[in-house]
Amino acid sequence: MKKGKNKGLFQIALFAMCITILASGCGKKDKGEKEEKEFAYVAEYAQLDVKCEHIAQTVAAGDVLYMAGSSWNEETEIGTNYFYKYNMLEGTLELLPLDVSENSYINGMAAMKDGNLAIVVNNSTYDVDENGEPINWQDSMEMWKVSGEDGTMMDSIPMDGILGDENTYINSMCIDGQGNYYLCNGDSTIFVLNPQLEKLCEINSDNWINQMVSSKEGDVYVTSYGETGMEIRKIDPDTKSLGEKVEGISDGYGDRQFFTGLSKSFLVGKSGKMFSFDLSTGTEEELFDWLSVDVNSDYLSAAGELSDGRIFAVINDYSEENDKTDLVFVKKVKASEVAAKEEITYGAMWVDYNLKKNIISFNKTNDKYRIVVKEYGSDDYQTGLTQFNADLTTGKCPDIIDLSSINYSQYANMGILEDLYPYMEKSGLKKEDYLENVLHAFEVDGKLFGITPQFYVTTAMAKASNVGNVDGWTLSEMLDFVEKQDPENVFAYGNRSQIFYYCIYNNIDEFIDWETGKCSFDGEDFIRTLEFAAKFPEEPNYDDEEGISAKLRSDKILLMQGSVSSVQEYQMMNGLFGEPIAYVGFPNNERKGNLIQTTGGCMGISSKSKNKEGAWEFVKGILSQEYQDSLIQEHGGWGFPVKKSSLEKQFDLDMTQEFYEDENGNQIEQTKTTWGYDDFEMEIYAATREEVEAVRELLMSAQKLSGNVNEQMMNIITEETEAFFSGQKSAADTAGVIQNRIQIYVNENR
Amino acid sequence: MFFSVKEKLKSGKSGSNRRTRRGKRISVLYLLPSVIGVLLFFVLPFLIVVYYSVVDNPINHEFVFLDNFIMVFHNAAFQQAAKNTMMFSVTAVPLAVILSLLLAMMLESKIPFQSQFRTFFLSPMMVPIASVVLIWQVLFHYNGMMNEIIGWFGINKIDWLNSSYAQVVIVVLFLWKNLGYNMILFMAALSSIPKDIVEVAVLESASPFQIFWHIKLRYMSSTILFVTIMSLINSFKVFREIYLLKGDYPYDTMYMLQHFMNNTFGKLDYQKMSAAAIMMAIVMVIIIGILFLTENYFGKDVEG
Repeated sequence: MKKGKNKGLFQIALFAMCITILASGCGKKDKGEKEEKEFAYVAEYAQLDVKCEHIAQTVAAGDVLYMAGSSWNEETEIGTNYFYKYNMLEGTLELLPLDVSENSYINGMAAMKDGNLAIVVNNSTYDVDENGEPINWQDSMEMWKVSGEDGTMMDSIPMDGILGDENTYINSMCIDGQGNYYLCNGDSTIFVLNPQLEKLCEINSDNWINQMVSSKEGDVYVTSYGETGMEIRKIDPDTKSLGEKVEGISDGYGDRQFFTGLSKSFLVGKSGKMFSFDLSTGTEEELFDWLSVDVNSDYLSAAGELSDGRIFAVINDYSEENDKTDLVFVKKVKASEVAAKEEITYGAMWVDYNLKKNIISFNKTNDKYRIVVKEYGSDDYQTGLTQFNADLTTGKCPDIIDLSSINYSQYANMGILEDLYPYMEKSGLKKEDYLENVLHAFEVDGKLFGITPQFYVTTAMAKASNVGNVDGWTLSEMLDFVEKQDPENVFAYGNRSQIFYYCIYNNIDEFIDWETGKCSFDGEDFIRTLEFAAKFPEEPNYDDEEGISAKLRSDKILLMQGSVSSVQEYQMMNGLFGEPIAYVGFPNNERKGNLIQTTGGCMGISSKSKNKEGAWEFVKGILSQEYQDSLIQEHGGWGFPVKKSSLEKQFDLDMTQEFYEDENGNQIEQTKTTWGYDDFEMEIYAATREEVEAVRELLMSAQKLSGNVNEQMMNIITEETEAFFSGQKSAADTAGVIQNRIQIYVNENR
Repeated sequence: MFFSVKEKLKSGKSGSNRRTRRGKRISVLYLLPSVIGVLLFFVLPFLIVVYYSVVDNPINHEFVFLDNFIMVFHNAAFQQAAKNTMMFSVTAVPLAVILSLLLAMMLESKIPFQSQFRTFFLSPMMVPIASVVLIWQVLFHYNGMMNEIIGWFGINKIDWLNSSYAQVVIVVLFLWKNLGYNMILFMAALSSIPKDIVEVAVLESASPFQIFWHIKLRYMSSTILFVTIMSLINSFKVFREIYLLKGDYPYDTMYMLQHFMNNTFGKLDYQKMSAAAIMMAIVMVIIIGILFLTENYFGKDVEG
């Protein structure tokens, strides 16, 4: 009886265990989500009323941050160095009396155990000749010991002779727990000095040293790129070598920044997130995403932990007209303490640089909505795309979809994307205020499924004197032209597959009749294109000393593939060719070969979004006058705004002459900027009205989006043409196989 | 006395009922994890596939009833894939069954190097599929060994993997990979045929063919059915090798139903994929049903 009872209990326990195992998967997730919602990170900015525009070096000693910066006086043309001490707990800033002369540069700073600072300073001295030009430059290096309390110089020791070579350059310095100094030359050598500044050893790394950093434990480590990605190794002065690679740092060649930790060995900045890393356990823990605290991690230059648990970060924004340094404190708070906002998910393979700025700006200013980024392609594109598709089918589709790296028409045809025209109309954004061709490129059946704030044109250029004033050509026209001219090559450094790719890239649909499902890759045109491309070298020749400009001018090459992203680039291209250019683009039957390349984010709204209004709030921002005007640039280079009025302002700026006054008081026009390509460089002056009109015409001629070419078909073509270009198969056989394989693709997709 | 016996019987009966009920409860408990597993990993996915086959796409979920089936049935790529898959199965499965049966019988007779032969035929099973494909690529490449060999006989090079010969290559690959396993199954079946029946047949002057046809084949009918079904299932798995050889879009003679389903899945055309999968499942059920009926017919007199 007792035995039977035990058996029954065992059976019940077994059953309970099975159920527990089955249910365990869900439980973990719930717990994680709960924890995620319980806490949040928020960023606060310190008020730094410093006199300098640019902070070049920082070092933290406990909760005190020392900052070395400089400012440049345009009128007197004199630079002034400043040295500040900022108490991060109290928020007090103090200008220290440390005298760093105009010709002295701080190459490395480190905090010593006693709270004082060690600073490596490079001093430059020179004489001045009769014309006021500097001559007889001499550099010397010194190690300063500076009081951390009041910034007074305690000692200055010349470094000449200590490191072995008086010309040694040092770009960073660390101090270990024993007070030894580690100086890195910015290449692959580390000099280790004892506290008395006597050289202990010189250690060479096999790879270029990316960064040198002290751990919480008081050891010094170096990071470099190894076989599987970035590696971190301890510097061992006893064995005079680098230790084994530290395990636990995830593989990958993405950039990682290491900072000295307080609770854990290091803080690690990577992939836009902040992690902590514990050397004793070899574990990495994600702390927060910089975007979620509205900080652009692209500009992160220093970080550390404070005794009150906050994390500080020095953000150096070089993208602004004037450099800007911010000191940010990130603290963990209860989620309930953060003002609740409606979250809008922005799904992207990768977050574009400008887009990141845009999202941060939106999140900082909008009281109702907050953009949360879901980056799919951080591991690899295919995995990201699979995850994105899985999200679509499981109802977790992002509210805003970044269309930059996906085949937007496929998704539009499935009804995933919302038509944006009604939203524009509702918001008072008139269709006719924007470049129609750009909007049209995003249309499917008259509905607008995507939008971009900025674009440039991808094209191919030829001398107008050779091809005539045309803005496009068919494949046979292109082939006739090149065959008639019989050049050395079609493009600079062109090879068979590149030339073939150019012929087919924008033209692939010409070989397919989607109505009937018939393909004609085995036809005369395709075979002719294959045979044409085979006439050119198999491998590009990079040894040729003659530059592109010279070859174009002498008709040794006929075409140049490139882009026009500004009026200045257009001017440069004219200079490169030395005569008027025809922007023929990629061959296609409609003679519309110039392509639109989006930049600065390219987005659509999910038709399944539960918060379309919120999503539109962000999307419409990129079309606003204010944002479009912010894209206007003095010397171009990033693309053209899509709003007509902003584009006109850009053109006006491009045509505005700049002057300087000569010694006689005459106003002389001066160059706006300098542009160059390969062997060619030219000074760019204000554009003429004719040049601007030509650019306008070029922009309007682009009708299709670049990169919207079917990857599967291109893969088949690339795979099969390989055997032809290496001489193994005839053009007809190759075309036959391509025809056969692409026919299946076409049949499958009808 | 009578009363007490009745009492005893009554109490015995109720005890037995209790035991039966308890036994049922316990068996339900034991079965539950398996039932949950089957529901979760087989029934539920199948129902999801059925659901996707009657909606317009996996995002909109608009009910379209049989439209997807009609669309897929008329799709030229699906027709091509179905034709190729059928052709392949019709050719490769009987060959795999017949050749492995012949090999088993050959190895059952006393031939020299019997064990070496057995190892030789089984060795393809041990080679990882990626290596198999690599070997096949080297053999059947345009500049590969096969074209070298046929070149000795003055025959022009054949683009084996990009021509109508492609399916021959795949059939050979399939047989090479599967013959060994089938052969072992047949050898086991042959060894389990009662010796006395064969001896009686020999004594009664039955010819070897009569012994094979009337005795061995009948005793092996269930194994033949099993091998046929396994080969049929494996014939659908040949996609793996083709995919590794030529990717998503091979030459049309190598394009199988699994390609169609994989490619449509990749493009989020779940509706097409599901409709194709259901049509394929229906055909499979019919074929396996026919095989069972055949086996019943041939093997009924030897089965207990």
